[in-house]
Amino acid sequence: MTRRKTKNLLRLTFLNIFFIAICFLALVPILYAFTLSLSDGSSAFGSGLFLNPKHVTLENYRRILTEEPFLLWLKNSVILSVGTMVVAMGFATTASYAFSRFRFKGRMKILFLLILLNAFPQILSMFAIFRLFKTFGLLDSRLGLILVYAGSMCIFSIWNLKGYFDTIPVEIEEASKIDGATDLQMLVKIVLPLARPAIIVTAVMVLIYVWNEYLFATTFMLSADKYTLAGGLYQLQANDYSRSWSLFTAAAVLVSVPILIVFFCIQKYMVSGLTAGGVKG
Amino acid sequence: MKKKKRAVPWLYSAPALILIGIVVVFPIIYTAYISFTNMNLYHWNDFHFIGLENYKRALLKADSGFLSAIGVTIIWTVVNMVVQLVLAYFIALGLNAKGLKLKRVYKTLLMFPWAMPAYVSILLWKVCMYNTEFGLLNQLVTALGGSKMNYLAENVPAFFACTILNLWMALPFMIMMIDGALQSVDGSYYESATLDGAGVWQKTWYITLPCIRPIIAPSAIMTTFTTFKQFDIVYLLTKQKGSLSGASIQTIITYAHQNAFVSNNYGLSSAVSILIFVIIIVFSVFTNRGLKEE
Repeated sequence: MTRRKTKNLLRLTFLNIFFIAICFLALVPILYAFTLSLSDGSSAFGSGLFLNPKHVTLENYRRILTEEPFLLWLKNSVILSVGTMVVAMGFATTASYAFSRFRFKGRMKILFLLILLNAFPQILSMFAIFRLFKTFGLLDSRLGLILVYAGSMCIFSIWNLKGYFDTIPVEIEEASKIDGATDLQMLVKIVLPLARPAIIVTAVMVLIYVWNEYLFATTFMLSADKYTLAGGLYQLQANDYSRSWSLFTAAAVLVSVPILIVFFCIQKYMVSGLTAGGVKG
Repeated sequence: MKKKKRAVPWLYSAPALILIGIVVVFPIIYTAYISFTNMNLYHWNDFHFIGLENYKRALLKADSGFLSAIGVTIIWTVVNMVVQLVLAYFIALGLNAKGLKLKRVYKTLLMFPWAMPAYVSILLWKVCMYNTEFGLLNQLVTALGGSKMNYLAENVPAFFACTILNLWMALPFMIMMIDGALQSVDGSYYESATLDGAGVWQKTWYITLPCIRPIIAPSAIMTTFTTFKQFDIVYLLTKQKGSLSGASIQTIITYAHQNAFVSNNYGLSSAVSILIFVIIIVFSVFTNRGLKEE
């Protein structure tokens, strides 16, 4: 009996060491970046992972906030993400409701087409969009970028929300119909409140997507005053000075913290949301 | 009355469908149109139709680089998926070991790489890990008495650098999916198998794997697609505008991007884009059918 106990204890110790090592590997780049962001110029890049407490400073954060246009980038990112969210959710909610509730001609075909379009990597049509936008003067405009984001996010949101609407029993709506509610009243007063959790989660995912998008943001926004956080960070690390790299790590921390907080708040929905749309044909 | 009813769903979905039509569908059609022309930097406006020339160039001429890009992409996808599934399986198995009290802590910590914005992670790895002068890897190597090396200068090390980064970014999701699947396996199967004298390997092969397969299949397929379409890692690590690292690995997507935005072969790039789209459609129809049958 005692032998079995020691064996079990050994096994658990080994497992714990294994997982501490794995977690360490997973966190090393983040921890290192965090240490760099807190170190002053003299000790940056050289002291390794361990912070010399004498050199801990918030100087990098002060400089990124005051000397670099970080707040401007933040403003641009917020405008783009909120704009995209409003457009995509506004359009997708009614559309997904229609696809969930009504059986009309062409419904399955459109849903299937949306899956295919979702599989299409938007980078591949980026040049076509670029050329079109250049022709119509939409380059370097926030509206243009919001439209591009909203289009692809509409597809994602329609599938995501449709899955949720499907789970709301129709009987509730029929009951409200009998009580004399108009279509619009029913949608606003009955259906939307019931679907609120799904709508919030989908909206947050749209926000995260735009916040994390860099390729279109750096390709389509040409003037420096329109840069998003992604564009700004990209510029910071592209400068080949180690001084701007510690600035870059401070900016990276500032950009990631809100996303990390939001992510851990909605993480249990992330898995189902990500897999719900893609494969159910 | 009847007629009005029929219009309702279209009314509800019209704004979304029109928007998708303009910014998603039309650019794809336009890309297809460009793919049949000789549009490039010198023929920005006075391009003309050249039929299937771009497709021929991509598929039949080995020096166009598209065929080798396909090869690299396939190797990349297979290597990443195999390593990812095996590693994630064993880590998830460890997480489900009896008596592991800190499981929740480990799971939360392991989730961080997934939660980070992808481009921030990639840039952090480029600046903090792989950088020749200051990167943590080279600090470790010099501390152990080795000499510094540039991980992104040549193709083979750069391929491994990209693979490690991709694993770092993608493993958390896989671990969580397999962890969830393992928890759904009924414990009584194992008990009766133990009574019948089955060993660890037999239990794994005949109980665990068949039970978790249908649950992880959708996420495994989804991850295969994202791995196949991976662009950010290779692009941000080795091909940033103005700071090419030296390695010349191309996946099909970086190849299409390169031809559109660096070497300005718009026609060729569009032809390649359409080919990739066809490959993806064939794959997804194929896998959808396979999933339904299961």
